[in-house]
Amino acid sequence: MRRPDRKINGMAHLESKYAEAPCAPAKPVRSGKAARRNFWGGLLANDTYQAVVDVLLKNERRQFWVLAAFPLAWVLFAHLGPVLQMFWISFLDSYPPTAGRQPQFTVDNWVAFFQEAIFVMPFLRTLVYSAVFTACTLILTYPVAYFLAKHVKRRNQLLFLLLLLIPFWVGEIVRTYAIMIMLGNNGALNLALKSIGLIDRPIPFMYTGFSMGVGIVYLTSLYMLLPLYSALEKIPNSYLEAAADLGAGSWHRFRKVTLPLSREGVASGCTLVFLISTGYYATPVLLGGPSTTVFAETIAGFFHVAGDKWPIGAAFASLMLITTLGLTGIFLKLMGRSGKGLMK
Amino acid sequence: MTRHTRILMSVIYWAFIVYLFVPLVLMVVMGFKDSKFIGFPIRGWTTEWYSGVMQDAEVMGVFAYSMAIALASTFLSLVIGTWVACFLGPYKFRGKLIVFAVTCLPAVIPGIISAIALRIFARGIDIEPGMLAIILGHTVHNVPFVALVVMARLSTLPRSHIEAARDLGADAIVAFFRVTLPYLRPALIGAGIFCMLLSFDDFVRAYFLGGYDPTLPVLIFAKLRSGMSPEINAIATVVLVLTAALGLWAERSMRRLNKGAS
Amino acid sequence: MGYSANDRQAVVRLDRITKRFGEVTAIDCLDMEIMAGEFITFLGPSGCGKSTTLRILGGFERPDEGRVVVGGQDVTRLPPNKRDVNMVFQDYALFPHMTVAQNIAFGLELKGRTRGEIDKRIGELVDFLHLSALRERTPDQLSGGQRQRVALARALAPDPKLLLLDEPLGALDAKLRGQVQVELKDIQKSTGKTFFFVTHDQEEALTMSDRIVVMNAGKVEQDGTPEDLYFRPKSRFVAEFIGETNLIEGTVRGSDNGAIVIDWNGLEVRGAAQQGSVPAAGQSVVASLRLENVLCHAEKPEQPNAVSGRVVHRIFKGSRMALDIRVGEREDAVIKVYMDANEAGRFAQEHLWISWDPQRLSVLHG
Repeated sequence: MRRPDRKINGMAHLESKYAEAPCAPAKPVRSGKAARRNFWGGLLANDTYQAVVDVLLKNERRQFWVLAAFPLAWVLFAHLGPVLQMFWISFLDSYPPTAGRQPQFTVDNWVAFFQEAIFVMPFLRTLVYSAVFTACTLILTYPVAYFLAKHVKRRNQLLFLLLLLIPFWVGEIVRTYAIMIMLGNNGALNLALKSIGLIDRPIPFMYTGFSMGVGIVYLTSLYMLLPLYSALEKIPNSYLEAAADLGAGSWHRFRKVTLPLSREGVASGCTLVFLISTGYYATPVLLGGPSTTVFAETIAGFFHVAGDKWPIGAAFASLMLITTLGLTGIFLKLMGRSGKGLMK
Repeated sequence: MTRHTRILMSVIYWAFIVYLFVPLVLMVVMGFKDSKFIGFPIRGWTTEWYSGVMQDAEVMGVFAYSMAIALASTFLSLVIGTWVACFLGPYKFRGKLIVFAVTCLPAVIPGIISAIALRIFARGIDIEPGMLAIILGHTVHNVPFVALVVMARLSTLPRSHIEAARDLGADAIVAFFRVTLPYLRPALIGAGIFCMLLSFDDFVRAYFLGGYDPTLPVLIFAKLRSGMSPEINAIATVVLVLTAALGLWAERSMRRLNKGAS
Repeated sequence: MGYSANDRQAVVRLDRITKRFGEVTAIDCLDMEIMAGEFITFLGPSGCGKSTTLRILGGFERPDEGRVVVGGQDVTRLPPNKRDVNMVFQDYALFPHMTVAQNIAFGLELKGRTRGEIDKRIGELVDFLHLSALRERTPDQLSGGQRQRVALARALAPDPKLLLLDEPLGALDAKLRGQVQVELKDIQKSTGKTFFFVTHDQEEALTMSDRIVVMNAGKVEQDGTPEDLYFRPKSRFVAEFIGETNLIEGTVRGSDNGAIVIDWNGLEVRGAAQQGSVPAAGQSVVASLRLENVLCHAEKPEQPNAVSGRVVHRIFKGSRMALDIRVGEREDAVIKVYMDANEAGRFAQEHLWISWDPQRLSVLHG
């Protein structure tokens, strides 16, 4: 850029013009589009707006509270509220309240859980099943995540991931149904086994722990895959190359370098899958049978029938919440992490 | 990695893809079966199930209902989630970690418990099971996701941009609408589409918070309780096509936006 | 432009500004005026308080004590959007979702100007800063130098009384930086705007400024023209910070015909005191000798301050040679000299004599 050849007369001229009336707009040159003022400029010039803003944004402290008020209220009311209220009514003896009767405080609802096998069994069953399914999902998806993170070129990774994501957009009911079709007595699996001559009569896969497991693993694989992939992708290849350079073989490298470094991903993935799988209602109902009743069904039972069973249902739900979150917390502690570390 | 490991890994990936897609493909195919009964082998083919679904006013009504709920809850989630993110992101204060944990709470509670808690809560604030309750339930569930996505994007906005806006005459509100919000656009679109999908696909909350009218997943579930039929396949396939299309469109626009407005 | 210092009005007054961050005093009672049309640079190392001063002027920090007056108006309590001051940020902070034209228009829109006025003003600035071809581009389509010009245009558009520039050349490569320094100076002269420039690069400050304020640990070390600071540094800090120099530490023996006699490691050398302060005999002093003022001779010259020395390092720098010459036994008894390539050939021997004009050995305070 060479020296400007002419002085900027316009600047000096405009300077004086603006200096005369810094806030009042100058007369429009022509009418129509050129005379339009920007919305925000107009807003800032508006007296009412200025008055409101002067109150709201007077100082840093006030600005903070104006911004914080609604989120805090929402989070307390809508996020925490339902859980707290659930706990609350688990200690009442009747809910919704009947006319002319004050609900009494009681722990009977909680005690009731331990007294009946038809309550305790599904509860334990749920925990065991979920743990098993989580482990299966881990074993199933770890190689896939490893492949994605280490064997696919970086720029293709998104594409490969995208392909994996597509089935998950479809929703749990549709996918559960798809599994039902596959595992039925006339389903694809039986057909395949028959056609290669392994069996004569169809195997009753459906309404068993197996079918429920297939369904749940099918539904939750992505929640294990993504954290695993994310963790594995972060391991620099140079670590593995250095290990190889120092004489470590494939399996050794995996055990000593890759596996420990992917621990955080394993922890996240397992946590997610465990929590999600305990929460399923439709899939166990559709794919499972009477012998595989999960606690979700037990809880649901109290809410779909008579209205006055809510307190027990609330107690059971609270119990399940405490247990699952507690188990998750212990698991994470064992894996050497405290909390999610998602904040920055 | 050795060539053998490479091939093995590759096979595992594609086997997994097949494992994910095959049930869905089978489901679609079964919808063309010319018979009332679900099962293989398929002897005759027909499109009557699909055309029947398209013309079924009840199904189309349910679809519109699900859509309306998804749109409403997505809008609410975006507004609330963004507000929460703008509060949690930049400010440091005592108890921030607790507030963050409570914000994420709906996302980590197992589905059934979340649905039950919301059901009780709705009763507590005098909302009947129905559309409003479901919208509320979906909003509560989706806000954490929106907040996380927006917070991630917000953390990459240099402080100097806001200072520059203020330097040029903007107060905090104008700076938000003219600088911050446009910057957040890719995150908002991504989060929005994610919310649409979550809401559209949701079962537990819609089941427990719903009234007489079902959402699409609830409808399918109800029909399945009375037994399978190709009609259900057709409905399920409609859902499949729609959600897959929505998801793919989302990915494409996210990709384009991230290239443009970084 | 032809202004003399007397013609200028003070456009900014910093009235005993103090700013603390916890235990640290970032600015310690800064008290000065900035004249209209001046290109003033605040220069110093990291943490000296120059950026804090800039941010206080812009309204992004509030001083703990003191007042800020801009254009006759006390703006101390005013937020940035209410001041007639605009800033060019270090990372330019161009709004990524807006074109060049929209970025430039931003400030004017918020002031409520009509579309016609804004377009006219954009046109002027775009022509002036050679951005015409880039009007409709977005920031990610611009080079570093182009972005800098857009940031400048955007800050100039609302016609502020004071323009702040926060180390805006740091992101540019060396060659471009030199070019842009000259351009910025030209722009400042053409527009007649008051520029408040912050940098840690002393060469940059010397190139562009009408006036430099050297800051160190929150205090002003020296405030003057580039020539003042270079030729007449008042303190050791300024002498070392600006340009390259040899520092001679010794004890005063007395004065002799206006020159100060200093005992430097047993050698007797003569220097000049600064105006108005003659150090007493026995006092320890530091004196500054710029490298270009050291003369080299093959044999003992008939000049004052003739000292013999031994060349310990000979460093080739292309157009010139740098020599380290040891003149005594102590560690610090090394004089650095620049010699152009032709001359260097004549001084291939190990031993030589150096001398300097006593006026060039500047005796400093502290």
